[in-house]
Amino acid sequence: MQTEIVIETRSLSKVYRDFWGRQKVRALKALDLEVRRGEVFGLLGPNGSGKTTTIKLLLGLLYPTSGQALVLGQDASEVAKNERIGYLPEESYLYRFLNAEETLDFYGRLFNIPRAKRRQKAADLIEMVGLTKARRRQLREYSKGMTRLIGLAQALINDPEVLFLDEPTSGLDPIHTHEMKVLIRDLQAQGKTILMCSHLLADVQDVCDRIAILHQGELKELGRVDSLLKVRDMTEIRTSSLSPEAQEEIRQVVARHQGTVHSIGNPTTTLEELFVKVIKESEAHPGRRARVEEVERV
Amino acid sequence: MVIENLQIAPLGDWLLGTGWQGGWLWSRWGVAVLLAVVLGLGFLAVAALRRRSGRPGPVLSTWTGAILGLFSLVVLAALVMCSTNVTRSLMHDYVAGPAFTRLVPVLGTNWTDGSLYTWLGVIVGLFFGVIYFCCWLAATLLSGPALGTMQCGRAVLEIFTDIARISPRRVFALAWLAARESIRRRVVVVFVVFVLVILFAALFMKKDSLHPAQLYITIVMNCTIFLTMLFALVLSALSLPADIRDRTLHTVVTKPVRKIEIVLGRVLGFTVVGTLLLAGIGAISYGFTVRSLRHSHVLTRDMLHLETLPGNGGYLWTGSTGEAHGHSHHVTIKVPKVTGDAKADLDAALVHPEELKYTVDAERDHSHELAIERKGDDVVFSLGPPQGELQARVPIYGKLSFTDKTGAPKDRGINVGDEWSYRSFIQGRSDARATWTFDGLRAEQFPEAQFPNGIPVEMTIEVFRTHKGNMEKGVPGTIWLGNPATGKRVLLYNFSAKKFATDTQMIPLHFSRPGRDGRIEQFDLFRDLVSDDGRLEISLQCLEYGQSYGMAQPDLYIRAADGSFEWNFVKAYAGIWLQMVLVLSLGVMFSTFVSGPVALLTTIFAVIAGLFSSYIVDLGGGNMIGGGPFEAAQRIMTQDNMISQMEPGFKTSTIKAMDEATAVVMRYLSAVLPEFNESSFGRHLAYGFDVGADLLGRCALRELCYVLPVLLLGFLCLKQKEMAQ
Repeated sequence: MQTEIVIETRSLSKVYRDFWGRQKVRALKALDLEVRRGEVFGLLGPNGSGKTTTIKLLLGLLYPTSGQALVLGQDASEVAKNERIGYLPEESYLYRFLNAEETLDFYGRLFNIPRAKRRQKAADLIEMVGLTKARRRQLREYSKGMTRLIGLAQALINDPEVLFLDEPTSGLDPIHTHEMKVLIRDLQAQGKTILMCSHLLADVQDVCDRIAILHQGELKELGRVDSLLKVRDMTEIRTSSLSPEAQEEIRQVVARHQGTVHSIGNPTTTLEELFVKVIKESEAHPGRRARVEEVERV
Repeated sequence: MVIENLQIAPLGDWLLGTGWQGGWLWSRWGVAVLLAVVLGLGFLAVAALRRRSGRPGPVLSTWTGAILGLFSLVVLAALVMCSTNVTRSLMHDYVAGPAFTRLVPVLGTNWTDGSLYTWLGVIVGLFFGVIYFCCWLAATLLSGPALGTMQCGRAVLEIFTDIARISPRRVFALAWLAARESIRRRVVVVFVVFVLVILFAALFMKKDSLHPAQLYITIVMNCTIFLTMLFALVLSALSLPADIRDRTLHTVVTKPVRKIEIVLGRVLGFTVVGTLLLAGIGAISYGFTVRSLRHSHVLTRDMLHLETLPGNGGYLWTGSTGEAHGHSHHVTIKVPKVTGDAKADLDAALVHPEELKYTVDAERDHSHELAIERKGDDVVFSLGPPQGELQARVPIYGKLSFTDKTGAPKDRGINVGDEWSYRSFIQGRSDARATWTFDGLRAEQFPEAQFPNGIPVEMTIEVFRTHKGNMEKGVPGTIWLGNPATGKRVLLYNFSAKKFATDTQMIPLHFSRPGRDGRIEQFDLFRDLVSDDGRLEISLQCLEYGQSYGMAQPDLYIRAADGSFEWNFVKAYAGIWLQMVLVLSLGVMFSTFVSGPVALLTTIFAVIAGLFSSYIVDLGGGNMIGGGPFEAAQRIMTQDNMISQMEPGFKTSTIKAMDEATAVVMRYLSAVLPEFNESSFGRHLAYGFDVGADLLGRCALRELCYVLPVLLLGFLCLKQKEMAQ
């Protein structure tokens, strides 16, 4: 993984106002984030925590109230940055009266891709997401999972450097979920940077290198997944070939009873447990950063 | 019959002022220099903006913002100065007047009348005096003068960058999407509705109407306008808000798509669909009109009666055709006398039927060709399709002036008490004359081969009677021709005018009339009566005491040629197309900042305001009898009539001041409201007048002048809009 920062937010804040300019909700409060080239970064948080707002600010779909959102070194409102990014929206907001080929052709034209290359690219992507048989069917006839897949294909039409995936596995069956995760890892292997947000914690745990947990518009947790899931106040010893008697005295006599110590270290919790814990702490102490671990440098 | 826009100035005069030919800038060299400068600078600017990456720097942005800010202050000051009559005249006398005079050698005399300059003035006033100034003020208040100025300057530079970086491929892709969306929304239903409406209307349309062509054309044109505008309103106002609501636009704006491309793509896509729709409706309308009006009449030998002309004059076979579409035609066939036996002479004449002379009298605005052929012992008469009903007359108009009953020149004739002051009148049996002076007539325009009977002059005169007289006979009058250069005048014809009946008189190219000394004088029209610079006077006098002729300038014209009715039909539909594009642009513009239903209502309001723009102009100019809206409201409440003086005092002064303030708003509003009636050519088509190139060009330019700023406004609104808000 490289150290070049491709996505950065600096004290990024967003306040939603009503027609008269009165503050409705403070969706994001001074968010500082850095995503490096080649990593898969996950944004987590309950509903209304500000993760979708963050993605929309980074895409230029919303304008920040204060602070800065930078993508590939350019301001998020710059159209030029869109040449190098891909976006899979939460609900695959696509034109349902088009079929898969027309959809990809249309988005390809928006990137000024020449016709021959566009068609080839569209065919490749349709094959990659496994929709070859349904390529002539209108999207209105697609299942939710199929729509997600064609949504991903349109996000990849320009071979982007940075991918924004909003709930990439929602609506997918287990097979497609697995394929999506493999695909995300493949894309990472190709050097692409991926920022994703999801409610499906297991999926995030599986594919993300680092995560940030947001609650009520504030950053509550940020770090590497393996680091964050490590339970530091516990020690785990993994053994084998022990009799039941020896197990009772294992702490004192593991060595004396000639058991083989495979590993001694900290056990990991699940991301779900961590998530619930962070949110509960946040609710108990509003406004306080729960715990920010040192970000492990690669 | 009154048709707006029948008489319009040439396109160049309208666009650049009447003396534009004298301006150096519009000479051949001037235009070349202008084009080179505009295209060269434009190319360089576009190239520089396309090459530049990233956002404009703070120094450049600040300078741009500051210069534009100062300019907007100057424009605002000018707008404020122009808002009242006193300050306007002051400004004209001391600032604008001297400056404008210096531009005369460059732009020509009367250049300030040119619509192009008015348009540029409105655009500069709107975008700098209003929009930029408000944004600059708001940014300065929110962020301070330095940062605010830089933000405004940067925004302007980014706007130009966006415009310079428009990609045709993306625009076409978005247009294709908009077209697909329109088709998905079942625009084809409009076809079905149109056909159903036409079929339904056909049940009630009277084919025996006095003017059937006018009736049919008016109905199909009105149906077309209504459905096309409905289509344009619904599609343009609801499409973008639906995309924003459904968030389908999120996947578009996260691609390298500029907001101006979205606006252009929408308008272009809808225009393509609307054009196809209009072409289809036009084809249906044309087929329906032509087929509905097509008819023939039965004519058999039994229907003709024999009249023997005295001497060797021959025979006249006269009679009426059978009835069709509620009318019949009187037919006269002249047969030469050879043997003295009428039937034998007719049989002999029918050996060469093409040499027979016949007339079929015009009825219900048309006549028919008569074909006569012999089939065995029988003679078969057949009348062809109607002729002269669907036409596109190309008129040449003259300038109307009057002389009163003593022969003194006047601007207008007398008023006979009509509330409608469109026509003015000349008294009978007096020296009162109405004279049309035609300009630019050349002999080459009227070759003898094409005009063997002379130049046709058509006139529609209103007759005002102070006593009944002989209603059938009409009121007698005379037509005079005059050479304005030499003062030579000659009586051409006596004629009889019936109220609002269109009469055609022929001006022979060569004719003879008795001179004052009683000798027959030979006249060559172009040698003797048309001046060297192509001017000719045609005067009318009413001969009957107590009766008057009423006329307006378009009531008499030289029918120089006839255009193709089909081509005129296309031009009339081009007028609807122009209106449709404007409505589409307005709908898309409004939909960039308000929700669908609100955009729909706002567009409807803009269209209605455009339809009544002349009323708003009058309101803004303070020309309304009964005062402005506040004075009118006061009069309604106090049941005061419209012409009485209001009682002086504080209340009246306050009302007048409020009306004056309203008039200022109305005046500026009237300058930016689209004039929808301008492009309505339905009456031209219905009454059989050609839609001239000058008129069509003027309307096209006018629509373009509206569409461009409307698209720019739409782009600006969409640019500052948060798509995911």
